[in-house]
Amino acid sequence: MTQEEKRLIGKAVSQINESVKSDIRIMEVCGTHTHQIARFGIRNLLTPKIHLVSGPGCPVCVTEPGYIDVLITLLKRENVTVATFGDLLRVRGLSGSLEERKSFGQKVVTVYSPEDVLDLAKRNTGQNIVFAAVGFETTAPLYAALIQTAQEEKINNFFLLTSLKRMEPAIRFILGESGVHIDGMLCPGHVAAITGNGPFLPVTAEYHIPAVICGFEGMDLITSIGILCRQITGEIPVQFMNTYKRCVRDAGNPVALRLIKDVFDSSDVSWREIGLIRDSALILNHRYEEYDASRRFGLKMESAPTAFPDGCECGKVLIGEKTPDMCVNFGRLCTPDHPIGPCMISSEGACAAYYRFGGGKI
Amino acid sequence: MNKKITLRHGDGGLHTSKLIHDIFYRHFDNEILTGYQDAAMFTTEAGRLAFTTDSFVVKPIFFPGGDIGKLAISGTINDLTTAGAVPLYLSAGFVIEEGFEIEKLNQIAASMGETCKRAGAKIVTGDTKVVEKGLVDGAYINTSGIGRVQECFHPRQITSGDEIILTGTIAEHGTAILLERYDLGLQSNIKSDCRPLSEIIPALGDLLKHVKLMRDPTRGGLATTLCEISESHHIGALIEEENLQIRPAVGAVHELLGTDPLYFASEGRMILVIEKGHGLEIVNRLKGLESCSDAEQIGTFDKENSKVCLQTPLGGKRILSMLENQMISRIC
Repeated sequence: MTQEEKRLIGKAVSQINESVKSDIRIMEVCGTHTHQIARFGIRNLLTPKIHLVSGPGCPVCVTEPGYIDVLITLLKRENVTVATFGDLLRVRGLSGSLEERKSFGQKVVTVYSPEDVLDLAKRNTGQNIVFAAVGFETTAPLYAALIQTAQEEKINNFFLLTSLKRMEPAIRFILGESGVHIDGMLCPGHVAAITGNGPFLPVTAEYHIPAVICGFEGMDLITSIGILCRQITGEIPVQFMNTYKRCVRDAGNPVALRLIKDVFDSSDVSWREIGLIRDSALILNHRYEEYDASRRFGLKMESAPTAFPDGCECGKVLIGEKTPDMCVNFGRLCTPDHPIGPCMISSEGACAAYYRFGGGKI
Repeated sequence: MNKKITLRHGDGGLHTSKLIHDIFYRHFDNEILTGYQDAAMFTTEAGRLAFTTDSFVVKPIFFPGGDIGKLAISGTINDLTTAGAVPLYLSAGFVIEEGFEIEKLNQIAASMGETCKRAGAKIVTGDTKVVEKGLVDGAYINTSGIGRVQECFHPRQITSGDEIILTGTIAEHGTAILLERYDLGLQSNIKSDCRPLSEIIPALGDLLKHVKLMRDPTRGGLATTLCEISESHHIGALIEEENLQIRPAVGAVHELLGTDPLYFASEGRMILVIEKGHGLEIVNRLKGLESCSDAEQIGTFDKENSKVCLQTPLGGKRILSMLENQMISRIC
């Protein structure tokens, strides 16, 4: 970072801190924002009057225990291998985690790129490869492209068990039903790169809350927080803004949107620790249902209990009602080594970021 | 077809003897080793000695920038270096899987011999065992080493104001292994930084009296090593993120994978804790060495902080915590 950039950031931070006279709450929806805010030590730069609270944008954190249990049930079949990205391995269902199952010698394969899964299927024709498809609109197009490739190449031992979610219904839930008070919102740049502005416009248009689509560098975050503060304090009018134009077009990525539309339908789904959010899931549509693992293997996901028995506050952390350090388990019973709640597992989880980087308190 | 190691190579008979002569004696050649004794005998000067041991199980055995042999010698020599010791004599014990290619063993022994020569050390005793296929993964090596500790080096309690020097870029070994292990399909020129650092000791000479502690940031990377030092000396530290050097390719890999290079191993870097006021002098001396040309002061120990903190380029501050979950296993 150049001296000039540092000077500009210093100036922006001073202006923010001088302008905010009373407590305000800004939500960062995206897990990567949560991680970056903690990594850059941004809480520590800002006045304590600015409360940065996390939202439900960490895909691993909102994956329901019942989903993990279904994957574990699948492992009991001789001819099934479960493929997953690494961050899902340690998430616990009621019957344990995939990591535990892997250590017992069951067939769990960690992949680093979605294409690896098709290679796995081609190399193991005697096995049914079930890919744990978790994520938001950001990753959904990748899964859609995989399915289409599988169809073109006539790979018939590859299936998705989807737990894909849409951002807009979750944001509406937080701003509406949840009753959580938010003064401004940092909207997720990665999701917006796919969807465009559309899902985030209602934040300002319908809920009259300042909202900015934001990138992931320190400068992006400071600039966007500055804009939100100026809107919240009334210095400038409330309006929807995009400070991440280098990656996000108003209409999003048409190729990716087409893939999502071609392959998925929307449906209701339960979000871990939050509950059912209408129309918030992406599920394989009838044209691709032969790739749906739940249909192929006749699986039904049990709905999860609304709260974990051991006082875990992840549900409140995920909707910005609480910060991780307000949970009694945080840093004592719940650590990255012994996570109780899902927000302590993924590096994008608010609790993991707070624990690792010290949150606002150093 | 390539010749393979068989169980006969480990039975202590003719084949074992031939393997030892053709490979180990050839590459490790010195009169103490080839003196045909079961134990090496040597004379040392009076004074303090340092003694260390380490086992190496790295996967893959050959990786960009090195192999298990180079790593096994560098690791033990660098452990001796942390004790302010000039390396003298090493042992090497091999556990080899039946079916391992003899030519690969030859390459490993060659790089061990070469690395020893570079560091001025000798392998003076060793052992070879062969186990049935599947019981180990290729070859494992244990090395132990003895070195002579320099008189002026006295590790001691770190106090506020002591300066922290790092001898170069971070995370290259761990990242090189990560890329090889997971076949990520990324084209890169990332190589392990694995190398012996024994030249630090004679280069610093009398300046070693200002060195309070040395540690090589291997498993757990720079962050974990700094946290361990901080905990054992009951003092926090402030690290300037901007003074940490990371090669662009290494940074890009971690950006892509969402991993943190601060937690990835180096095998050819040293952290030195220097008495307040002597950091610059030592950085300048280190910069003259090929292995430490990128040496920088990266921060200071500081009683104002109870933990190791990182000053970010934005001016923010955050905690640098110890690694709790392994990011990748069998890196050394």
